Amino acid sequence: MERSFYLGLAATGLRMPIGADLVLHEQGGAESILYDAERLGKVVADAAVRYKTPLAFPLMDLRLEKADLLSLLGVPETEVDLYHFHTAPESGQVEAVLRGGGRPFSARIQANQGAVRYIAEQTGLLPVGMLIGPFSLMTKLVADPIAPVAMAGAGVTAEEDDGVRMVTRCLDMALATVLRSARAQIAAGAKAIIVCEPAANTVYISPRQLKGGSDIFERFVLAPNRQLCALLAAHGVDLIFHDCGELLTGMVRQFAEELRPAVISLGASRRLWEDAAVVPKDIVLFGNLPTKTFYSDSAMPVEEVRRLTRETVANMRACGHPHICGSECDVLHVPDAAATIRHKVEVMLEA
Amino acid sequence: MPELQKLYDAVLNGDQKTAVAITQEALAAGVDPMELITNYMVPAMDKVGSLFECEEYFVPELLLSARAMKGSLELLRPLLAAAGAQPAGRVVIGTVKGDLHDIGKNLVASMLEGGGFEVMDLGADVPPEKFIEAVRARNANIVCLSALLTVTMPAMRTTIDALKTAGVREQVKVMVGGAPVTPQFADEIGADGYSDNASAAVGLARKLVKQG
Repeated sequence: MERSFYLGLAATGLRMPIGADLVLHEQGGAESILYDAERLGKVVADAAVRYKTPLAFPLMDLRLEKADLLSLLGVPETEVDLYHFHTAPESGQVEAVLRGGGRPFSARIQANQGAVRYIAEQTGLLPVGMLIGPFSLMTKLVADPIAPVAMAGAGVTAEEDDGVRMVTRCLDMALATVLRSARAQIAAGAKAIIVCEPAANTVYISPRQLKGGSDIFERFVLAPNRQLCALLAAHGVDLIFHDCGELLTGMVRQFAEELRPAVISLGASRRLWEDAAVVPKDIVLFGNLPTKTFYSDSAMPVEEVRRLTRETVANMRACGHPHICGSECDVLHVPDAAATIRHKVEVMLEA
Repeated sequence: MPELQKLYDAVLNGDQKTAVAITQEALAAGVDPMELITNYMVPAMDKVGSLFECEEYFVPELLLSARAMKGSLELLRPLLAAAGAQPAGRVVIGTVKGDLHDIGKNLVASMLEGGGFEVMDLGADVPPEKFIEAVRARNANIVCLSALLTVTMPAMRTTIDALKTAGVREQVKVMVGGAPVTPQFADEIGADGYSDNASAAVGLARKLVKQG
């Protein structure tokens, strides 16, 4: 799509949550729907229709690429969530992942791709794919990623330290896996892909190191994402970049300037009207109501949702930056708080 | 005799290799392990905490310093145990059932160890009965519960209720933390304390132990 499509949506005052999970859990047998491409596609379409948006945002399940990668290494699906590397993967394992692009996907991942295909073929909505960013996937593969990333940031090399070798090799495997996921979603018909990099934040990347001139953000975050962006651009697929982590303004600027997304979606800790100063005007800012706390009426009363929504919308209008008012992340279904979450999403859409 | 100030610097700078090397040299030279902890390592970690509070240090620096401290402590612990020295407290920590996130929990565990606490880390996705079992086995006086997801936060309440039912709630102070957790939520579920970062968690644990 042309950038003008997203800019046009912003100009109409579109508001929307990333809300497929809410709709999914209103259905009976939500778990089985995850394995049924057509029913999953209908859930995604229903969410878009409910929230009056042409953007068919899928479920934000950031475990899928990890499962795909580890399946090649023989890790059973049931053990994926708790599986972590504690030492550097062997070079043979890295090679296997780098060369393993042709293998079939799991049933769960195929259903996800099938849902994208359903949106592309059966609806008039914009089919949007979703995947975890390479850096964030790397952090999910490693038992304790912060220290070795910090050591890499301090200039320790993979040859010198096993921890640095571990995160470097895992990042290589993560990038290959993410590219494979992107190719499959593009083949299924995705016209835009949301790349979620929530771990690219100040918990993992030290602001102190960056201030001291470290190139860790460039090497570990921007460079692999640039490769992903190049793939999307080669297929005419738009990048929607999402990072709800704690960020420095310089990180926001670099995401915008270096990756050139059509839309950038940020967490509630950011003041979007201030970020507008470092984001080019042809990039739509998305968000960033604190939907992660919508479950709690004491932490986030309805009135506060209303106030924050009005404040965000007013400030974004005042600064004149294209903006889609939305959630800071995907809005998750919480069993005991489903009604209050839905109500607050409605308030966000109407305030 | 090694220059012990270098141990302080190594912990402060998160240099585990140097911290371990200086500790080895000091022990070989007959320095009292408690002197290393009290005069060099704990002050260094206190300085790290204050640098974190004023945003000179961030989580990566915090973690590297905690690792440096831990590396030295591993050398000292057997000697301290043999001398009958008591830890600052006995902590059982884990991410609650249903939640697989462990970064924040690992960080708190490292900082508590660096702060002189004996820590039993139960990992992620920990059911209430495992917390109870560990409290009994370790005679713990602090339980730390972590959750990153709104959907798994109710498991914190379930765990605290299970501690009550098992009759061990009175012997422990319960601390909770994690991105979606708020002080209000901590109050609502009957926790004794809430911390929004790993550095402050050490101070909170010390305060709760003093309260007894």
